[in-house]
Amino acid sequence: MIATTAAAAGPERVLRGLAVRQVRRGALVVTAVCAGMSALVVVGYHREALDPAALAALARNPAIRTLFGEPVALDQAGGFTVWRTGTVLAVLLGVWAMLAATRITRGEEGAGRWGLLLSGRITLAEAVRQHLGVLAVVPVLVGAATAAAMIAAGVDATGSLLHGTGLAAVGLFFVAVGGVTAQLFASRSAANGAAAAVLVVGLLTRMVGDGVPALAWLRWLSPFGLLALTRPFDSNRGLSVSVLAFAAVLLLALAGRLAARRDVGAAILATAGSRPARTALLGSVPAFAVRRTVRPLAAWSAGIGAYFLLLGLIARSMAEFLTGNPEFATMAAQAGFPALDTVEGYAATLFALLAVPVGVFVAVRLAAVAADENARRLTLLLAAPVTRVRLLAAEAAVAGCAALVLITEAGVAMWAGTAIVHAGLGAGEALAGAWNVVPVVLLCLGAAVLALGWAPRAVAAIGALPAAGGFLWQVLADSVDAPSWIRALSPFAHLAAVPATAPAWVAASVMAGIAAAGVVAGIIGYRRRDLCA
Amino acid sequence: MGVSALRTEHLSKRYGRLLALDDLTLDVAAGEVFGFLGPNGAGKSTTIRLLLGLARPTSGRAWIFDTDAADVAAAHNRLAYVPADVALWPQMTGAEVLDLLARIGPGTDTAYRDELIQRFALDVSKPAGTYSTGNRQKVALIAAFATRAPLLVLDEPTSGLDPLMELQFRQAVGVARDNGQTVFLSSHQLAEVEAVCDRVGILRAGELVEVASVAQLRRLQNTEVAATFTGTPPDLAGIHGVHDLHADGAATVRFTLSGSPAAALRALADADVATIVVREQSLEEIFLAYYGQNAR
Repeated sequence: MIATTAAAAGPERVLRGLAVRQVRRGALVVTAVCAGMSALVVVGYHREALDPAALAALARNPAIRTLFGEPVALDQAGGFTVWRTGTVLAVLLGVWAMLAATRITRGEEGAGRWGLLLSGRITLAEAVRQHLGVLAVVPVLVGAATAAAMIAAGVDATGSLLHGTGLAAVGLFFVAVGGVTAQLFASRSAANGAAAAVLVVGLLTRMVGDGVPALAWLRWLSPFGLLALTRPFDSNRGLSVSVLAFAAVLLLALAGRLAARRDVGAAILATAGSRPARTALLGSVPAFAVRRTVRPLAAWSAGIGAYFLLLGLIARSMAEFLTGNPEFATMAAQAGFPALDTVEGYAATLFALLAVPVGVFVAVRLAAVAADENARRLTLLLAAPVTRVRLLAAEAAVAGCAALVLITEAGVAMWAGTAIVHAGLGAGEALAGAWNVVPVVLLCLGAAVLALGWAPRAVAAIGALPAAGGFLWQVLADSVDAPSWIRALSPFAHLAAVPATAPAWVAASVMAGIAAAGVVAGIIGYRRRDLCA
Repeated sequence: MGVSALRTEHLSKRYGRLLALDDLTLDVAAGEVFGFLGPNGAGKSTTIRLLLGLARPTSGRAWIFDTDAADVAAAHNRLAYVPADVALWPQMTGAEVLDLLARIGPGTDTAYRDELIQRFALDVSKPAGTYSTGNRQKVALIAAFATRAPLLVLDEPTSGLDPLMELQFRQAVGVARDNGQTVFLSSHQLAEVEAVCDRVGILRAGELVEVASVAQLRRLQNTEVAATFTGTPPDLAGIHGVHDLHADGAATVRFTLSGSPAAALRALADADVATIVVREQSLEEIFLAYYGQNAR
C-alpha cells in the first residue's frame, strides 16, 4: 500500500521535493543577504545636500558610470541603496543561481544519481524542467524579500518593487543560463565556465555601455544593463525588466527543449570521440595539479584582465572628476571607496576589489580537490606512493601560484590601461597595488585548506569567506557607519591603500600568519581524517 | 610461513556506533592468491581502505611487507590497487590516465601494459567520460597488473566485466601468480575466487569467521551423497556422520556426509548399490551455509 501512496503523490511532486531539498539552504542565505543588505543600507543612508549641477556632472562622468553604473536618484535613500548594492547583489544572486542550476541538473546527472531517477516514469526533459522550475522560484523570493525589506525600512514602494523585480529577473535569467549550459556541456565544470563567461561578459558589456555614450545601446544586451535601465526611484521604467524576464523565460523553455533532444549523460555539444593522448604535465603530482589548473586559470585571467584593463582606461577621468567635485569624493568614501581623487588612490581602492575574485578562485580550486575526493577520482592517486600531505601541498601551492599569476596580470592590465590614457601610474606602483591583496588571498587559501582538513563539504564557502564575506562585511560596515571593531573583522579593513600609501607590513604579516596557521591546522586534519576514497 | 605480503593485527574500525571491522588479524603470505569473501557491508572495503591508509584504524595496525600501512610513501611502492568503483577524470583519455598512473606509480612494465590493453580490448583514445563501468574498471586493472608491484589489492575488480573479460582477468591473475606477485582479491563472485584463489578469508559483519584453503574449506563442509539400490536401501539413520537423510522414491536415498565417511561407506557396501553420486559442495554453497541463517 505504501507503493500506491507514493505513486499517488505523482512523480513531479517527488521531483520538486527533491529539488527543494537541494537548494533550500543556499536560497535562504542569498535571500537573507540581499534583503538584509538592502534594508541596512537604506537605514544607514545620510541625506546630504547635493546641488543639481553637481549631480548632473556625476551622472555624466563616464568613469563613475563605468564603475558604479549610472547614478540615479542618489538624493534618496532608495536610489542610493540601489546604486550602492544593486550590482553587487545582482552578481551575487546571478552567480548563486547559475551554480545552483548546473549543480542540481548536470551535477546530479554527472554523478550518476539521475540514472535511477530517470528509470522511473520521469523523462529527462521533465526532470530538468521540474528542477529549474523549483530553482526559478528562488529569485522571485529574493526579489520579493528585498522589496519588502526596503519598504519596511521606509522607502517608496514603487521603486522598491521595481528593484526587487529587477533582481528577480536577473536571478531568473541566470537560472536559465545555467540550465541551458548544463544541457550544452557534458561536464558540470564546463557548464559553469560557460555560464560564468555569460555573466562576466554581461558585466563588462554593462560597464562599457554605461561608460561610452555612443555604445549606450549595449546595455540592452546585458542582464546587468537591463537591470540598471529600470531606474528605480527615478523614472521607474518597466520595459527593460520585461525584456530580461522574457529572455529568461525563453532560455528556460530552450533548456527543456534541449534536454528533450539529448540522451541521459550526454550533451548537445558532443565531446570529441577519440583523440591522441596529450601526455604533457602528467609526470608528477604537482605537474598534474598544474595541468588541471591551466584551463580555469586561462578563463579567470581573461575576465580579470579585461576588467582591470577597463578600470585602468577610466582612471584618469575618475580622478579628474573627483578632484573637481570634492563632495562626491566624500560620498564615495562613505560608499567604501576613499581617496579616489588621485590615480594612486583610485588604483589602491580598486585593487582591493581584486582580492574578491582571486580569493574565490583559490577557494574554488581547492573545492575542486574536495570534489575529486568525493567523486573518488583521487583514490587511484592516493593508492600510488603519494602521501596526502604531498597531494594537498601540491594542490595548494599550484592554486596559490595561479592566484599570484592572476594578481600580477591584474596589475599589468591596470598599468596598461592607465598608460593608454596617460594617467601616470607607474608599472611598479600598479604591481605593488595588486600584490597588496596577497595577504587576503592567503587568508582564503588558509581557510580553504583548513576546510579541506576538517569540513570538506564546505571548502568553497569557507575558502571564499575571507574575501567575499569580508568584502560584503566591509561594504555593510561602511554603509551603516559601524563601530571600528566591527569594521576590523573584515580583512579589507587592514589593507593599506597601496600604491597611495606604504604597505601595512604588520597587518600583512599577521594575516599571513593566520593563513599559515590555517594551512597547518588543515594539513593536520587532512592527515588524520578518513578520506572519501 | 615465510614473508608476509600483508598483515594486520587486531585491526578495528568504528564509524560512530557501527563497528565496521572488528579485531581483524590476518596474514597473507608473499606469493599467495588470497580471496577475501563476504556479503555487502561485511567490511571488505573498509579493510582495504585501512590497508591503503585511506581510512585510519580505530585500533590495531596493518603492515604491507613489514612497512606500516600508514607510511604510504613506502608501502605503496610495493602495491597496486584496483578500487571497486573506479572514477576517472572525464576529460582525460584512457591512455592519459594510464600514463599518469604509470609515472606516479611504483614502476610499470609498459610492454606488458600494451599487451594488456590489447587483451582487455580497451580503446584508450577515448575520454574516460565516455567509458562504461566495465571500461573504467579495465583502466584500473591494466594499470595495476602492468605495475608488477609485489602486492596487488583488488576490490571486486570484475563486477563490471563481461565473461570474456573475466577470463582475461583470471589469466592476468595467473601471470601475476607466476611472477611471484601476491594477490589480495576481495570479491563476492565465488566462481572467480574458487578459480583463482589459494586461500580464502570469510568476513561476516566485520568479523573474520574463517580462513582456510579452498580445499580445506570444502573438507570442513558436508559432502552430498545420492545412491540408488537394486534392492531395498539400507537403513542409514543413526550412522555416524550422516545427516539430512531422505528417500527419493523406493530405491534412492540422499544424505549429506560430514566428518569421516567410513561408517556410512561400510553401511552402503553391505547393500546392493546400483549408482552412487558424491558431490562436493561448491564454494557458493559453503558461503551460503555461512550466511544462510544469520546473514549479517
